[in-house]
Amino acid sequence: MGRRITVHPVIEFQKGAQVTIFYEGKPLPAYDGDTVASALIANGIDVFRQSVNLHRPRGLFCAIGNCSSCLMIIDGVPNTRACITSVHEGMTVEQQLNKGMMP
Amino acid sequence: MTYDIIIVGGGIQGVATAYELAKRGAGKILLLEKTFLTGGSTGSCAAGIRAQFGSPFNVKLMARSLEIFENMAKELECDNDYLELWQGGYLVLAYSEAEFEGLKRNVEVQHTYGLKTNVLSVEEVKKAFPRVNVEGVYGATYHDRDGHADPFHVTFAYAEAGKRLGVEIREWTPVDTLLTENGKITGVRLQDGSSVYAERVLVCAGAWTTSLLKTVGIDLPLWGEKHEILITEPWERLLGPMVISFSRGYYIQQRPHGSFIMGIPPEDPRHWYRPDEFDFSSSIDFLLRMSSEATNVLPFLKGVNVVRQWAGLYEMTPDHHHAIGPLEDISGLWVAAGGSGHGFMFGPVMAEQLSKWMMGEPMDIDLRPLSPDRFKKGALVIEPAVVG
Repeated sequence: MGRRITVHPVIEFQKGAQVTIFYEGKPLPAYDGDTVASALIANGIDVFRQSVNLHRPRGLFCAIGNCSSCLMIIDGVPNTRACITSVHEGMTVEQQLNKGMMP
Repeated sequence: MTYDIIIVGGGIQGVATAYELAKRGAGKILLLEKTFLTGGSTGSCAAGIRAQFGSPFNVKLMARSLEIFENMAKELECDNDYLELWQGGYLVLAYSEAEFEGLKRNVEVQHTYGLKTNVLSVEEVKKAFPRVNVEGVYGATYHDRDGHADPFHVTFAYAEAGKRLGVEIREWTPVDTLLTENGKITGVRLQDGSSVYAERVLVCAGAWTTSLLKTVGIDLPLWGEKHEILITEPWERLLGPMVISFSRGYYIQQRPHGSFIMGIPPEDPRHWYRPDEFDFSSSIDFLLRMSSEATNVLPFLKGVNVVRQWAGLYEMTPDHHHAIGPLEDISGLWVAAGGSGHGFMFGPVMAEQLSKWMMGEPMDIDLRPLSPDRFKKGALVIEPAVVG
């Protein structure tokens, strides 16, 4: 968990209870209060999706829900923004490889 | 500097006509645009193209326009991906028996001109378009060659093709006044005070046309009307046709890019004749009415995020048809404006036929009934299949 900032000059982090999320089927530890993006980054995962035309890797960019760089399939729903979606126990998270397939 | 023809306005109408005129050897052509190409109504439009109209006149024109769109890549030396040509059809839904009867009458007209429009029962709509909510629907019509083309790229493709034929295009060059001498047009004065001269001037300035004609004392009953549109994030292809209702006013289409573009007319539109009245602000009222209609007819849209919304101007005339042709009062002055919400889709055919008219060649489709002087004579042209 070396990538998690624990001490910050301005913000005080309140680490919640540990939960398990499933990234591409693999269980990963996360904490209540994490966004999907923070949990993935803390677990060493930087690539969240592929760009739609050239299929290049894309990850966290604006981190405030504006830019669409971090769209993932979360709990089966494509085009969900990893940076502003909070984790919960048992959540499934998948990389998004296209513009999103509607069920 | 003297030109054969000055065209005022860099939307689809002006740019396509510049190309068509150059192709027919009209001489030195200068196109003036006050902002950038597509900076007015063309660039705010919903990108739909359809031949499903009701008047023989419009059906004939749009049948030809679709042919031009279908052959445009070759004609303008680009490709269909660039033009974002998508022919997923228009699905026109009827919400009453009377409306369905009206649509069927339109289809008869469309069949007369060789279009293969289908009349669909509610069951057939459900089967062919399972994502469409048919609640309250009495029937529909569907024409598979209707669809979408990108208004920006289509205009740019005409501009590039025109430039290859010698058309000169100046952007960021607003025209201030039309210039006349003894009842004849001589050119235009630009906002910077300089003048450019020409034998003929063609005004294709959309809703800005009225104020320009006013500078030479002509009153054209053409006004701007604010219409709003929104666009969503892109998804993989979910919906083939433009889904549209004339009675409820909505139209919704998925673009080749994957985003959904949609509009619904204002409830109580104001009529603006002067550019200083034009208002392009976005309203929450539109967003709410649009979302409610869209998620009703296409329930899957509840899971799709809106990216942005904007406003543009329909350039309306009293009978919702173009004002196109020469003005009787000033020799050498021509106008082509007033698409009334359909300016983009009619642009290619209007440009083709107008250029023939201006060159003294016989028109394949006689545009003379759309002469701008028809309003003072009360000779209006009626079209039943319009939104808003």
